[in-house]
Amino acid sequence: MKMTYALRTLLISFAAIVLFLTAVPGSATAYPIYAQQAYENPREATGRIVCANCHLGVKRTEVEIPQAVLPNTVFEAVVKIPYDTSVQQVLADGEKGPMNVGAVVMLPEGFKIAPPDRIPAEMKEKVGDLYFQPYSEDKENIIVVGPLPGDEYREMVFPVLSPDPNTDKTVHFGKYQVHVGGNRGRGQVYPTGAKSNNAVYNASIAGNITQIAKADEGGYAVTIQAEDGKTAVDMIPPGPPLLIAEGQTVKAGEALTSDPNVGGFGQADAEVVLQSPIRIYGLVVFLAGITLSQILLVLKKKQVEKVQAAEMNF
Amino acid sequence: MSILKKPDLSDPELRAKLAQGMGHNYYGEPAWPNDLLYIFPVVIMGTIALCIGLAILDPAMTGEPANPFATPLEILPEWYLYPVFQILRVVPNKLLGIAAMGAIPLGLMLVPFIENVNKFQNPFRRPVATTVFMFGTLVTLWLGIGATFPIAKSFTLGLF
Repeated sequence: MKMTYALRTLLISFAAIVLFLTAVPGSATAYPIYAQQAYENPREATGRIVCANCHLGVKRTEVEIPQAVLPNTVFEAVVKIPYDTSVQQVLADGEKGPMNVGAVVMLPEGFKIAPPDRIPAEMKEKVGDLYFQPYSEDKENIIVVGPLPGDEYREMVFPVLSPDPNTDKTVHFGKYQVHVGGNRGRGQVYPTGAKSNNAVYNASIAGNITQIAKADEGGYAVTIQAEDGKTAVDMIPPGPPLLIAEGQTVKAGEALTSDPNVGGFGQADAEVVLQSPIRIYGLVVFLAGITLSQILLVLKKKQVEKVQAAEMNF
Repeated sequence: MSILKKPDLSDPELRAKLAQGMGHNYYGEPAWPNDLLYIFPVVIMGTIALCIGLAILDPAMTGEPANPFATPLEILPEWYLYPVFQILRVVPNKLLGIAAMGAIPLGLMLVPFIENVNKFQNPFRRPVATTVFMFGTLVTLWLGIGATFPIAKSFTLGLF
């Protein structure tokens, strides 16, 4: 087990290094790795899940989780990432294509994805071919999935195994928070701060647009001449549609392209109770006792009423 | 039921008391022991059972440790402070917000004094006071619900 972890970590870091070195703007198959590399914990102290730092659109994400679970039990956590499937996003090469989805689920300490032999067949079917990856070696309770084709995975089922406080003394019965983040579509910013081709490009200086040249690798090179004669060339990668034409005057910071982003990120919080079966038995016995006492009190009152009636003077 | 006492309206003494707004406890079921000894415990035990059931089935959560250097993305006080919180966050000026907040307990303190202007206790005989109260309740609910919406939507509650 340790070996596979080490191996996986090694592979991930290797993959990430290769990605960073070769094609930072390019890969659409790497986003969770960016977060895993840059943040030890994917949830900031403000409560924001870090995916939102690169996926700038705000969209809805829903989570469904049982109100309470028993220890050492497998249950489903369902993450829904709704979006209109007729909408297409800009791909890395500037073409249009279907959207991808990805999700991060932050379970309470001690919870983790159930091992395959614990998952019932019915649940296995719902889970499908999802591959769950722990966020990092020591954070098995944080799971990332994706990127996946959004057509099939707008609803993801996570088979979760609850811990047993009787065997694992670090876990306690009680109520815990679950944080979920869901994303559809590509990000706008790379961890380096560079924009992807799925973002708005703005004029770097104020001036007149003297030339819009098609770049060799696709996209445009927009030349802006300021009033003092200084020129600047703004490179726009293939993807975002141009809003401007040659001869037009722009202000500094004015959008040269429209916003191609059709996706977005959303986060949701849920609560789950890790419930002790002994407490439930105790509660049932207690409630039965209460009910019995109430019935007996009412019966006693009825008896006293009869005495009162008998003593009455007519 | 023979246990129930009905008011004996032929009794001149009771009639005189009723005319002064007194004497209502001359009818109904005896409080002791029928209610106090037998029915009160039923209610008390029911209440305790509900509290314990809730405590076991939906225990209170230990919140996250607070971090004074990181304000959460969404801040909301306890639910009973929602209306005041809404006033505080939509009023453009902080001093005005404090004044509006302070006006709430001060206004409530004045109620007993203003209320005595009218000699009646029955709400239906005090139409102005009742109207003010109902309006205040509605405004409180509106502010309280608004507090859970983003500011742009908080006045319309997202309905319009």
